[in-house]
Amino acid sequence: MINPMDLTGQTILVTGASSGIGRETARLISQLGAQVILVGRNEERLAETLRSLDGNGHRAEAFDLSSTDDIPRWLKTIAASSGPLYGLVHSAGIHKLRPLRVLGSESVDEVMHINVGASIALAKGFCQKSVRASRGSIVFLSSVSGLAGQAGLAAYAASKAAIVGLTRALAVELAAERIRVNCVAPGVVTTEMGQSLVGMLTPEQGAALEAMHLLGFGCARDVSNAIAFLLAETSRWITGTVLVVDGGYTAH
Amino acid sequence: MEKRKFLLLLDELLEIEPGTLKGPEALDDVEGWNSLAVISFMALVDEQFGISLQPRQIAGCSTITDLTGLLGDRISAENRT
Repeated sequence: MINPMDLTGQTILVTGASSGIGRETARLISQLGAQVILVGRNEERLAETLRSLDGNGHRAEAFDLSSTDDIPRWLKTIAASSGPLYGLVHSAGIHKLRPLRVLGSESVDEVMHINVGASIALAKGFCQKSVRASRGSIVFLSSVSGLAGQAGLAAYAASKAAIVGLTRALAVELAAERIRVNCVAPGVVTTEMGQSLVGMLTPEQGAALEAMHLLGFGCARDVSNAIAFLLAETSRWITGTVLVVDGGYTAH
Repeated sequence: MEKRKFLLLLDELLEIEPGTLKGPEALDDVEGWNSLAVISFMALVDEQFGISLQPRQIAGCSTITDLTGLLGDRISAENRT
């Protein structure tokens, strides 16, 4: 029997690993054989994720990705002790429901800085010769909000649409270095972040949002399956693409 | 924050003449009070006070004063001095 998504021997860094999609991705790729470097701000929650992984050789690194200028140097330090990185999954991000009338420049800057600025800095750090393996795969997290309109999400949507542009630009720029770059665009999943979004809606708005997901709201594993596919050899001929995982949200 | 200042923020949020809202107004009669305004109100409260309100709390309000009541002592009475 073969496992086409086998990741044995690959070292993969996962941001946002203390919860939600990041945590579930770390669990899944550890089950597929990868050595995982977990990144997040909360040491306790990272340790919790670490304990839930399969296999050995994983580690947790507490780091605040808002310090974007420090990211490339920090990644060099990590690779110096863990060995070259094959994969990068950037799952950390912030979500703000802010209708236009209450959307201030501070919120816009914060969302763009964390969701886009940190992505660029991570890609920059990952591509350094002393950090990356001879080939690699970067997976960013976009969102259906970056592809289809939803009221109250202007800044978040702009940041997630930017991820699509970033993915395509970097796919072209990094192909010669044998680094593939793709992103996943999930619909609403029942993670802490997804639930906080739904929690800000009235019951009627929440029900309408769920109805737009033809298959209902998803779970973190639905998205991590797609991320693992984009990391593994199953996607060796795929770069610069957006893999929509949304239970049919964008089908209508 | 003084209630008067907060009411001015609500006027601005709803794009109505500054000083229009006094407190006793029924939400059903307030121009522009709709589902997006509810989310905007929650976002405004989050930005100004760091308080996360739940939609059901707002659904239980029938007047502007009920809304400001959700903020407890974060909203003070008019300063008359």
